[in-house]
Amino acid sequence: MSTPELVTVTIDDRAVQVPKGTGLVETALAAGVEIPVFCYEPRLGPAVGACRMCLVEVEGMPKLQAGCTLTAQDGMTVRTAQTSAKAADGQNATLEFLLVNHPLDCPVCDKGGECPLQDLTFRYGPGRTRMTFPKLTFDKPIPISPTIALDRERCILCYRCTRFSEGVSEDGELVTVNRGAQSMIATFEDEPYRGRFSGNVIELCPVGALTSTQYRFLARPWEIQNVPSVCGLCPVGCNIDVTTREGKVKRVLSRNHPEVDEGWLCDKGRFAFSHPHARDRITEPLRRVRRRGFEELSWDDAVDEAERMLRAAGTRIVTALSGSETIEQAYALGKLLRQGLGAHAAVLPEETSTALDALRLPLSAIRDAELVVVVGDQPVEERAPVVDLWLRAARRRGAEIVTIGPTGSIQTPPGSAPQVCRDLAAENNELGRRLRGGQRSIVIWSGPDGRGGEHIAALAHALGLADVAGSGAFYLPDTPNGRGVADAWSAVADGEPADPEPIALLIVSGDEAAANPGVRALAERAEMVLAITMFQGLAVGWADLVLPGTSYLERDGTYMNLEGRVQRLRRTVIPPAPDELAWLAKLAGRFGVELSPHPSLVFEDVSARLFGGLAFADIAATAALPTRAKAAPRPPLPEPEPQLGGDGLRLLRYRSLFSGAAVERVAELQFQRPAREVEISPEDAAAKGIASGNEVAVRHNGTSVALRATLNRRLAPGVVRIADEHAGDLGARVEVGRA
Amino acid sequence: MSPQPLGSLHGFAVTFRQIFRKPITQQYPEYKRPLYPRFRGRHRLNRFENGLEKCVGCSLCAAACPADCIRVVAAENTPENRVSAGERYARIYEINMSRCIFCGYCEIACPFDAITLGNEYEISEYSRDDLIYTKDMLLAEPRKRVTIQDPELFDTPIPYYRAKA
Repeated sequence: MSTPELVTVTIDDRAVQVPKGTGLVETALAAGVEIPVFCYEPRLGPAVGACRMCLVEVEGMPKLQAGCTLTAQDGMTVRTAQTSAKAADGQNATLEFLLVNHPLDCPVCDKGGECPLQDLTFRYGPGRTRMTFPKLTFDKPIPISPTIALDRERCILCYRCTRFSEGVSEDGELVTVNRGAQSMIATFEDEPYRGRFSGNVIELCPVGALTSTQYRFLARPWEIQNVPSVCGLCPVGCNIDVTTREGKVKRVLSRNHPEVDEGWLCDKGRFAFSHPHARDRITEPLRRVRRRGFEELSWDDAVDEAERMLRAAGTRIVTALSGSETIEQAYALGKLLRQGLGAHAAVLPEETSTALDALRLPLSAIRDAELVVVVGDQPVEERAPVVDLWLRAARRRGAEIVTIGPTGSIQTPPGSAPQVCRDLAAENNELGRRLRGGQRSIVIWSGPDGRGGEHIAALAHALGLADVAGSGAFYLPDTPNGRGVADAWSAVADGEPADPEPIALLIVSGDEAAANPGVRALAERAEMVLAITMFQGLAVGWADLVLPGTSYLERDGTYMNLEGRVQRLRRTVIPPAPDELAWLAKLAGRFGVELSPHPSLVFEDVSARLFGGLAFADIAATAALPTRAKAAPRPPLPEPEPQLGGDGLRLLRYRSLFSGAAVERVAELQFQRPAREVEISPEDAAAKGIASGNEVAVRHNGTSVALRATLNRRLAPGVVRIADEHAGDLGARVEVGRA
Repeated sequence: MSPQPLGSLHGFAVTFRQIFRKPITQQYPEYKRPLYPRFRGRHRLNRFENGLEKCVGCSLCAAACPADCIRVVAAENTPENRVSAGERYARIYEINMSRCIFCGYCEIACPFDAITLGNEYEISEYSRDDLIYTKDMLLAEPRKRVTIQDPELFDTPIPYYRAKA
């Protein structure tokens, strides 16, 4: 790319040089002059000039111009409200017009105190209203979804929300109805706004027209603290600001990290913050008495009990990690068990591949890519939603996105992703040839297979993507910190994991592990089970000792996201029980292992082994991505596992974005959870005489699940798709018939 | 010896003269001096004539308070439970009287004239906890009536909510 031509623009008598084509708002900012805006938001695409707040006087143009729609031209002379009485008058009149129908219920409005309309009126607007007629009134608030309330009286029709829905999340559910002065924001056909990113419109709204129902009337801006942290619900690791008041989390806002999330946040990360206050939260250690009964015990007794269990089990311990622990927690647990007891056996959430480090890119590189190939059974938006926004941004910029999977643009049967990788790596594959020849080619693995990192890294290395700066590969893991947990666990000690039989003690760390059927099966084989979990429902009935866990909102520490970026989690509220590090440090002391209860000190230890001595305090608020590792010798492509044969339709289970222990405990998010449906391709439906909406029975080996059928045109024939939580015990091959 | 013996004697003479004067001690609490009309005593939360609370729980008083002694937690009015005139109302409204400095900024900040400082000043308690006034206490009529000096004697403006109907 050539360096763009520089132009000189004079703004309020200050000359400034910017690249040609820079927006006037940014140009003014470079000159140290503010042009106030409501509707202008570069992330939403081209400016629309709807609000007219940015009026400026441009030399040679007879009328005031909307500054946001202009770009810097050489020799342009611009006067803003600071130096031009005409522009100041224009902005004053604009605000007066905006306020004609604005209700001025600022003391009641949730936006009051952090409202751009309030602030700009104070600085640029008229002090008094001349409006003596009754203002327009509407029914309010209108719940456009269980999480968002719409107040049309307050709306100033800047179209930020509809532009987001149209041009960023591309769901098109929020629209403008009617025309001219009668325009108003509505959801399409008055259906609830059901999308993965709907919450972003709350933050985009420059007035209090779109507000969060969860945050409604809970706090005012001068009563809150915003704690910068990182979302711990998916592997993207979006940066967030957590608003707390009086020791409770009240809302979650996005915090713009231009390389990770560009300031967008999915609804799970935004609205699922109330799970720490769920009714079945465990706040005291619990010990099993009788068969299914539990009694609370004091922390001192609990640590004694845990010590007794560990001593009794010795090396015959298996640890099931969930991938939602912080790096420090995983390291501390590993240090206690591996160094203290020599118990090396673990069930890790992911099998990580270090070969991916040579293919490292920031997520924002997807937007600039030419060709992106997504391989795997699961849609990207269900696993790492913000990556889907980057893919959409890339497509809008002209990139070609190819998805290969049961619901992809190239349809393959479930479980065929490893074979697809081998095919793409072959010399004569057309798509592979284009990936190989491109300057900015990216491959993404989006499947449930734990060895996906290995497959995709081998593919990318075979295509030579490691040698091209703009090309790379991403592996979308299942868990928010799977890579960090696995790295920390393996960095502790060198002992060879032995498979103990029988298992004397199974340690279940975290909710994801506790909900994992594989871990439950292990528990059947274990003599004792120690579970660290947040919620009663996950541990009661099968664990012998339950220690309260903490949420990502209550921990201090670090997470590693899917790019390999180490990001800082901050404690936003005090957990109801001591956090894991506190009692792990106490327990470690009894086994003669030196362990600090402070994450900063534990991180020092981890960092010396894993991150080249990166200091805890040096992890910036917007964390930097480590540089690409040197390309290792090309790893061989792993052999794909043989496909299971058999009759019937292939069952594709998927884990919905809106699932998991946290989402289940948030009332406002229930409408987003997957319906009791089985998705079936139109071909299969026609063959079996099933219509959309029919009640069907899905059978496998004697078990039967009753679901509603829905046709999915994007689904490959011969495959049915069911959300994990509704699929029950169904196996890989199922029969579908009318109930 | 004082360098100015005459001066000292002059000073003592003033003291001795007072001995024979009638004392002006006022027997509080039997006698209470009338207050100035704009005296700032303990707060009151006001209602509309139809019984709805004027306070909408906007927390502007808490923002204005230099002693940080006001706590407001708002909630939403529902048709079944309508407390205030607006969409929201103050579910919890507490003033910590032991911290309050009676500056009256809350009164100035209030956009709905919901909080006003009354005349009552006898609010000592034996326990600090009892000095946290809840919404019920602030909404109630004052327990003790205090005489106010005749406003006619002063040229201070009388706020409209104190003016006699």
